[in-house]
Amino acid sequence: MERVCARDADAFEVLYDDYHRLVYGLALRVLADPGGAEDVTQAVFLKVWSSPELFRGGNFGAWIARVTRNRAFDLVRSKSLRAESEFPDSLPVDERLEDTALARVDAASVREALDQLPREQREPIERGFFGGVTHEEIARQTGLPLGTVKTRIRSGLRKLRLILEEAVGV
Amino acid sequence: MMSHDEMLDGVAAYALGVLPPDEAAAVASHLQTCAECREEYRLLRPAVTAVAYSAETCADADSGAVVASPLLKARVMKEVRAGATRSVTPRRSPAVLVAAACLVLAIVSGLVSLSLSGRVGRDRALIAQQDQTIADLTAPDATHHQFTGGDVLTRGSHLYIAVHGLPVLPPGKVYQAWTLAKGAKTVAPSVTFGPESQGVTVVRLPEAATTLAAVAVSVEPVGGSKQPTTKPIAMVRL
Repeated sequence: MERVCARDADAFEVLYDDYHRLVYGLALRVLADPGGAEDVTQAVFLKVWSSPELFRGGNFGAWIARVTRNRAFDLVRSKSLRAESEFPDSLPVDERLEDTALARVDAASVREALDQLPREQREPIERGFFGGVTHEEIARQTGLPLGTVKTRIRSGLRKLRLILEEAVGV
Repeated sequence: MMSHDEMLDGVAAYALGVLPPDEAAAVASHLQTCAECREEYRLLRPAVTAVAYSAETCADADSGAVVASPLLKARVMKEVRAGATRSVTPRRSPAVLVAAACLVLAIVSGLVSLSLSGRVGRDRALIAQQDQTIADLTAPDATHHQFTGGDVLTRGSHLYIAVHGLPVLPPGKVYQAWTLAKGAKTVAPSVTFGPESQGVTVVRLPEAATTLAAVAVSVEPVGGSKQPTTKPIAMVRL
């Protein structure tokens, strides 16, 4: 990564190869539009290239996923990419090895794990994460009390972590 | 008044990114002061990242899966390579940030390529140690003391020296760190070390930073010295 920091295009290409499926897939899930997903993917990677210092440590996959999600929602809201969308801070939260491993389980395993969640937990998680709606909007859409929505999100995320821990064996 | 259990539910919504800005700011502020909520956030963040990975597209276009166009990569790399030739000067960043970023990506790259059941166990101790180093180097509450070519960084009792481009020494010579305890009049010997091949040398000193008034580095014979025998190449008051 020192080479990427030093603006080594070959090293950046390796980074692109490692993460473009995550970035493109996430943008596609949010936008449901291959063209828009490609625009977001291009914008995200070029921003990483032009401003690598924005990544300040921690799990790179987690960080670039947040960047991508923000960019995709920008596009949903504005229908056009802003030149300088706000990038999230990357303050690490004392991340441990097993956290990094859990966050990087392959997509099929995560989808299986999500399928194991009760529907009332999985739906607010996916609706909120991929749909870009707030917990208040989820509550309005589902007719559930706000507190119930938040509790179900927390229960679902905790259960998802447990399922993934079993899958990974950490 | 929100109960603490309700706050923990709010932390989950914050981790998922579904809070409106004002509530998100309130939770972020609370996380700075509440260890229990911070731990909850740490537990839930990987699950949120995993949700993101559930959308990752397949690498195998032949299977009929939706994949990004190869032309997309060509477009990105065209701009990147044009930028690379226009500007080959590395961005100037504090040594510790560069070192941290490189350590992080080295570990992340390693984890990406490994099977999750194999090398994780074997490399656990080493990577956990590196994880701690990364957390310290990138922590917002770390204190940086810059000197020419590097930084001394403290976070709680942890103490690091990070130096850019430390020259290779002649045979028989090493770098040695020195510490001056608060109230002491003479320095005490600390660890010896050599330059890293990748350009940034990061050394964790075993002494507790909270007990020290200053840190220095000098060139000494292999095995180290009891007192500095050469003029320090770096000296930082904490």
